[in-house]
Amino acid sequence: MMDMRGKAAIVGIGEVPTGHYPERTFADAALTVAEMAIKDANINKSEIDTVIPIGVVSNSINNGNIVCSQMIEALGLGSHAKSNFQVMSGGSSSASSLKVASALVATGLSKAVLVVHCDQMGTQLDLETAISTFSKVSVSPEYETPYGWSQLGLGGMMQQRYMHDTGATERQIAAVVESLRKWAALNPNAMMRTPRTVDEILESPMISTPVRKRMMNVLADGAAAYIVTSPERARDLTDQPAYILGMGSKCTNFTTTQQPSDLVSAWRPAAEEAYAMAGITPKDIDVAQIYDAFPVFILISLEILGICKPGTAGKFVEDGNIAPGGKLPCSTNGAMMAQGHTGAGGGIAILVEAARQVMGKAGDRQVPNIKYAVETATGGVGMDMHVGVLGTEV
Amino acid sequence: MSNYKKPLPLITPTSKVFYDGCRSGKLLYQQCLDCGQVIFFPQSICPGCLSHNIEWKQSKGKGRLFTFTITHAAAPSEFSEDTPYVLAIVEMDEGYKMMTNIIETDFDEIKCDMEVEVVFDKVTEEITLPKFRKPK
Ligand SMILES: [Zn+2]
Repeated sequence: MMDMRGKAAIVGIGEVPTGHYPERTFADAALTVAEMAIKDANINKSEIDTVIPIGVVSNSINNGNIVCSQMIEALGLGSHAKSNFQVMSGGSSSASSLKVASALVATGLSKAVLVVHCDQMGTQLDLETAISTFSKVSVSPEYETPYGWSQLGLGGMMQQRYMHDTGATERQIAAVVESLRKWAALNPNAMMRTPRTVDEILESPMISTPVRKRMMNVLADGAAAYIVTSPERARDLTDQPAYILGMGSKCTNFTTTQQPSDLVSAWRPAAEEAYAMAGITPKDIDVAQIYDAFPVFILISLEILGICKPGTAGKFVEDGNIAPGGKLPCSTNGAMMAQGHTGAGGGIAILVEAARQVMGKAGDRQVPNIKYAVETATGGVGMDMHVGVLGTEV
Repeated sequence: MSNYKKPLPLITPTSKVFYDGCRSGKLLYQQCLDCGQVIFFPQSICPGCLSHNIEWKQSKGKGRLFTFTITHAAAPSEFSEDTPYVLAIVEMDEGYKMMTNIIETDFDEIKCDMEVEVVFDKVTEEITLPKFRKPK
């Protein structure tokens, strides 16, 4: 296999605030983040020959339009562009698009690739309809639909088993949310910026045991974009690109029922593959942008990443290690639980935050002296695990 | 006319065999005659070796509770009148997992890894759903 380490870099990012923005149109938000990424990269737009729009969940017409080169026309790329095609793997679309964009650049098929996500999960979907619709997706219609599965039920079942296996406490689960809210308070693009203590989180109503209301993510509108180009071009464009050093993946299942019982063992190869490519160990990680959806996901992922030994992530979080000022800052945008859940964009926001931290553009929440950042993503009902390593140097 | 309002399983040539089994009090699963893999959800092609040589077998209906959640709120709308209800995944003694509901069991008795047994819940004339409970 071709060595992909340092063969591509993220050179520009764009993002608009996540939340409920009924006045912000889909096309405007998508165009705005693309323009922000182009300006951030200081790149001539004629170098962008490929646009990858991520799947839109809230509206199939918006998705159809963005699949059919809406961005090429809006950005005036038509005289130079070669391709516009969608990448979509739900929550893991960040990792999937990063793989495709990096490979296109590394092989020379593309000079620069623009990845754009935009969705309006907050204002285009009626919440009750959304819960009912999502309860039928990534679910077996023959053997699961009759039992009342939901995304929240999935979070409940995963947290229940994790607490049973590890002895993690409700306070430790709540501590994940407390930490994410602290980060979100420092992120102007986040939706849930009010800090919440562990006690406040545990006082919120029980929704689907053991998941309480303040352990849930909230559907939101959002958009983000990033640009990938070669390391040579990256050095011309910017003092500090985010070099793509490692990528690793595992894809295991479609339904919740068939998810591996021991996720840490089943998905660890994703981390091992990424670390081997990057030439690092978990000890080298300076900041970890971990995909959440639910708090237990962050605990399981800390163990998959080898940052914590199996069963110890709850204590690690409860001791303040992932919060601002902690030993290993994690999910510094607040992740989906505090920045907001924008459909396939939750992972894009997490990847963009990893690049932002590596490029030193994270403002009040900038983690100092970063050499290596990891980022993760998971799609479906927990169908896959992706780990990426970004770094300041090749 | 049934007044059952929740989603019924999709009936296909394969799932019809399973649900006909449930209606007659038998919990069925499959095994591949070529590679021996236990198969559930039922399939027409073995996911182990892609063989079509698959046989139906009858489960003893016993297993353990892998995980569960008691849904109090924010259920899919078709289930909102049922809250709180127990959504669960059970691991059968024959070595496969099923999604189900735990019924006829006090909530505070429900724990991961507890033993469970099948109970057949006839929800319409055509469809009987396998659900589980703590053995009496
Ligand atoms: Zn077979």
